Amino acid sequence: MKKSLLLSVGLLALAATLQVAAAADAKKVKIAVLMYGNKAEFVQLMQRYGKDDPAVTSGVADITFYDGRYDASVQNDQAQLAINSKFDAIIVNPMDFEANIPVVTAAKAAGIPVVVTNARLNTKDMNSEVVSDDVLGGYLEAKDVLAKLGCKGNVVIIEGPKGGSGEIQRGQGNEKALAECPPGAVKVLERKTANWSRAEALDLMQNWLSKHHSEINGVIGQNDEMALGAIEAIKAAGLNTKDFAIAGIDGVTDAINAVKAGEMTSILQDARGQMQGSIDVALRAVKGPDFKPLSPIWKQYEKDLAWNDGQSKRYDIPWTIVTKDNADSLLNDRK
Amino acid sequence: MTDPLLSMRGIKKNFMGIKALTDGSLELDRGEILALCGGNGAGKSTLLSVLMGFIAPDAGEILIDGDAVRFADARQALDAGVAIVQQELSAIPHLTVAENIYLGAQPSRHGFVDFTQLNRQAEDLLASLDFDIDPRAVMGNLSVASQQLVEIAKALSHRNARILIFDEPTSAIGDKDVERLFTVIRGLAAAGRGIIYVTHRLAEVFTLATTYTVFKDGARVASGRVSDIDRERLIEMMIGGAIEGEFVKDNTPEDTPLLEVRDLARAPRFRDVDFVLRKGEILGIYGLVGSGRTELLDTIYGLYHGDRGTISVSGRTFRGGAVQEAIGAGLAYVTEDRKDGGLVLCASVGSNLSLSILDRLQRWGFVRRDDELSQIGRAIKMMRIKTTGPDQLVRNLSGGNQQKVVLGRCILTDPKVLLLDEPTRGVDVGAKKEIYRFMSDFAARGGGVLMVSSDLEEIIGMSDRIIVLREGRPAGTFGRGAATAKNLMMAAV
Amino acid sequence: MSDSTLSFRGDVFFRKFGIVAAFIGLCILVSILCQLRVAAGDWPDNVFLTAANLMLILHQISINGILAIGMTFVIIAAGIDLSVGSVLAFSGMVAASFATASVGVTPWSGNYGVVVPVIAALVAGAACGALNGWIIARFRIQAFVGTLGMLLAARGFTMALADGNPISAISPDLRWFGTGKVLGVVPIPVVLFLLVFAVAWTILNKSIFGRHVYAVGGNEKSARTSGIKTPRIKVLVYALAGTLAGLAGIILTAKTGSAQTNAGSSYELDAIAAAVIGGTSLTGGVGRLSGTLFGALIIGVMNNGLDILGVESFYQLIIKGALIVTAVIIDPSRKQTAL
Repeated sequence: MKKSLLLSVGLLALAATLQVAAAADAKKVKIAVLMYGNKAEFVQLMQRYGKDDPAVTSGVADITFYDGRYDASVQNDQAQLAINSKFDAIIVNPMDFEANIPVVTAAKAAGIPVVVTNARLNTKDMNSEVVSDDVLGGYLEAKDVLAKLGCKGNVVIIEGPKGGSGEIQRGQGNEKALAECPPGAVKVLERKTANWSRAEALDLMQNWLSKHHSEINGVIGQNDEMALGAIEAIKAAGLNTKDFAIAGIDGVTDAINAVKAGEMTSILQDARGQMQGSIDVALRAVKGPDFKPLSPIWKQYEKDLAWNDGQSKRYDIPWTIVTKDNADSLLNDRK
Repeated sequence: MTDPLLSMRGIKKNFMGIKALTDGSLELDRGEILALCGGNGAGKSTLLSVLMGFIAPDAGEILIDGDAVRFADARQALDAGVAIVQQELSAIPHLTVAENIYLGAQPSRHGFVDFTQLNRQAEDLLASLDFDIDPRAVMGNLSVASQQLVEIAKALSHRNARILIFDEPTSAIGDKDVERLFTVIRGLAAAGRGIIYVTHRLAEVFTLATTYTVFKDGARVASGRVSDIDRERLIEMMIGGAIEGEFVKDNTPEDTPLLEVRDLARAPRFRDVDFVLRKGEILGIYGLVGSGRTELLDTIYGLYHGDRGTISVSGRTFRGGAVQEAIGAGLAYVTEDRKDGGLVLCASVGSNLSLSILDRLQRWGFVRRDDELSQIGRAIKMMRIKTTGPDQLVRNLSGGNQQKVVLGRCILTDPKVLLLDEPTRGVDVGAKKEIYRFMSDFAARGGGVLMVSSDLEEIIGMSDRIIVLREGRPAGTFGRGAATAKNLMMAAV
Repeated sequence: MSDSTLSFRGDVFFRKFGIVAAFIGLCILVSILCQLRVAAGDWPDNVFLTAANLMLILHQISINGILAIGMTFVIIAAGIDLSVGSVLAFSGMVAASFATASVGVTPWSGNYGVVVPVIAALVAGAACGALNGWIIARFRIQAFVGTLGMLLAARGFTMALADGNPISAISPDLRWFGTGKVLGVVPIPVVLFLLVFAVAWTILNKSIFGRHVYAVGGNEKSARTSGIKTPRIKVLVYALAGTLAGLAGIILTAKTGSAQTNAGSSYELDAIAAAVIGGTSLTGGVGRLSGTLFGALIIGVMNNGLDILGVESFYQLIIKGALIVTAVIIDPSRKQTAL
């Protein structure tokens, strides 16, 4: 009893301190960033690039990250919390295509700008979305695998969690690329989910190898982790990864290293582009037409991505195909 | 001539080829209190299970008021007027007394339990039975005796209950409560209900019952009016032969002190407890439920810390509150409820017997199986445990044999002092006698026995001295001559 | 009622061999389904019934098997350990931090050879487990709640260790625990699993500790009255489960070549499933490691067989769910109620 009392007093004191700190930063633009979870490397990267954003380091903006714990309703609650806490803008990386629409609805109702990043939401009410086109990503990786096979042979597809927007859209991209090969030239031997997990993909690929022996020529992993799991399975079966065409999406560090080793292809989803792009769009919405974007990404993607005064409904952050040539510079960027 | 209230004829029941009942028959009339007697395994429980609709018989018929009935489940039996006071405590501990009594039949209003009505009903019922129990009390906080009374109230809560079964209703309650219960039962019979009364305490047959039916090996062997037989005759019918005296007592106390308890207290359970148990002595502790007798044994054994006082065995004082030390000092404890605190029911006879001495049978932390088996064999033989072997599950033994397993586990530790709390509760006549013999032999070989019992005859028959506890304080010590039922009761209340 | 001295004779056979029969039945079913595909000309041969595939199944169940062995001890002691998946992740992360080529992910990270990471991971697992046991025994809280706390806390520690990042570039020495093979055929995880099984079996069946575990789970009060130091047994049991989770963490990290923050999520459920399918009673006091071994095998054959047969993953979940419940329903060693 006494202990819990002490604890509550401590927490109150802590809260009070934070309040004071917040008051001192009153002039900064307060942005709440609602992440669907924080266990994935990609989310970690987004958070890092968020903290490194020029607007944040220069003191223009102050960003706070929320961990949605892989639960859409948690994110909806956090949006309400952010609104109540008088944040100036909300950036949301949604867990679910439909279930997180209330984040946008609530923010709009409160008159707060809201930007959707990384994954999509099935609404048009947000200020902007700053995303990478998953259909395109899926197309690019499948195209790479099929190019290596010369549109001939057998492939397996390791899918994301069934029914998620990632699995659906990347799957559409996969299909689009497959359809560009002559009919019947490429056979999809197996397709099944490994829930974005390297360990699950390892077991799944082992079972497929056990069943199909050496008939599998290509592996299309809808993310890098699962492609890496397939690589481990191939190695464990005593086969050579050079005999397979393997690709994944996201550009996680291990995948970039695997690209360097010549084991796979990865399509890099630009965490910096999505995060810092979102922050700039949000700042423009809060500060008005005078605001000029601060992140270097607008310069980097000059040719493919127009700033358009932060008014575009959708910003498609381009994909980067990781090659042996750009791998080292991408890795250096993360140090 | 009218039909009898209940008539069961030629009930047969086999379990997996084992004949549990070959000829289950009995008659019960209105206003009659029928004592159903028989050792464990005689088939009484199976017969009652059939009557209550728990199990379906293979053959035979049941007639109530002359009409043949067939129960598919317990609910149907209840609706036909058959209700039971459970032997096992089956209450739900975190519900209130009233909720337990009307479990499944709560008065409701708009789909919600009407607690006002529920408590009033329960209050009326308890008052009509003269039970001093608060219907709002939480069941788990009541003493075992009070819980048993609630079970009785529960059975009587079915207004149309015409055939009432009491299965060992007094096994856990004190004498004062027993008297009250008997009054209640007589009243129920006088009101035209039929009572079936099952007990191992033969004295109760003669104080309470009007008729008797004796079962042996799955069949009725005798029935008649209680006034036509005496105790000895009843026992003979149950065991199928003549017996000598019920108690066995060949020990003689010596002068050497064995267990000394000085000024022991644990608030609010007991205080001022001060006695010496000598070698070769059986010392009884008598008291009503709630007098602190179980708590006293618990504390001596180290299950709880005392507030003050010392305990020593053979002059060696040991710290309280540590079971391992108590065992090391030579104490062994048979708890009141063997299923909770005595046995590991889901384990085998063998592993129960050797549980307390594994440390002595080890080499590098592993059990030497041969030594273990020989110790287990020794205990089975010494206690005459009827078992198919060390691997049989304890759960499948009869009550008497289960109790012998607890005693066997204790005896293997080579104790100097045995603490026994209700050692013959729920044990049939044959096994009772073996337990008495065991106690007597143990004391005769120089051990000491400290026995708690609510059975007056037993405690008088077995003890060399008896200490009476009243509300946690010693209220007198009686030697063999002075320890009469009357004296003990006078001191206890 | 009191005198139910009757015992169900058939149950001895079931308890001993029912699980084996179920396992063999499942194998036969899967091979028949495969054989049908061969007969239909879809496949050249029966890929399920090959030595390589059976070895693969053993390989795939080794992690769950090791966790399930620890879980069996815990459940026999009338507890439950929900934290093994998180503790696995934490230990795996600890091991990785001492056996990686990437410097700086943690302040100390680097390659310390093979002994340091292995010991560190086992100690980390044991510590988490012992803490579980101590909290449960000392404060008398339900195991479900105590280990639920650890499930969250250990996951948090896992993320805190490397700031939420995975640790990759695992040293080849440590990776041997996941990818090495004895005599070129038997994977190291399989060897470790069988070794752990043999040792655990001996402890559970032959040692005093094992007997005390059964007693504490069967009836804690009786165990205490019999002179058993019940809190100590609890701490040891959870520490054992934690240590085995640590070993499983090493293997998973070594197998995948990366320690991930979400590793081992919900592995505790598969471990519980293996124990329960194998006849371990959640009420405590009853269970065998041989049952758990076959429980893990059944789950493994199911996952492998359904992958090979190309059954969608959602049906896999439905079948697994049905199997667990069925196993408990038909388990004859369940404590009887009423009579």
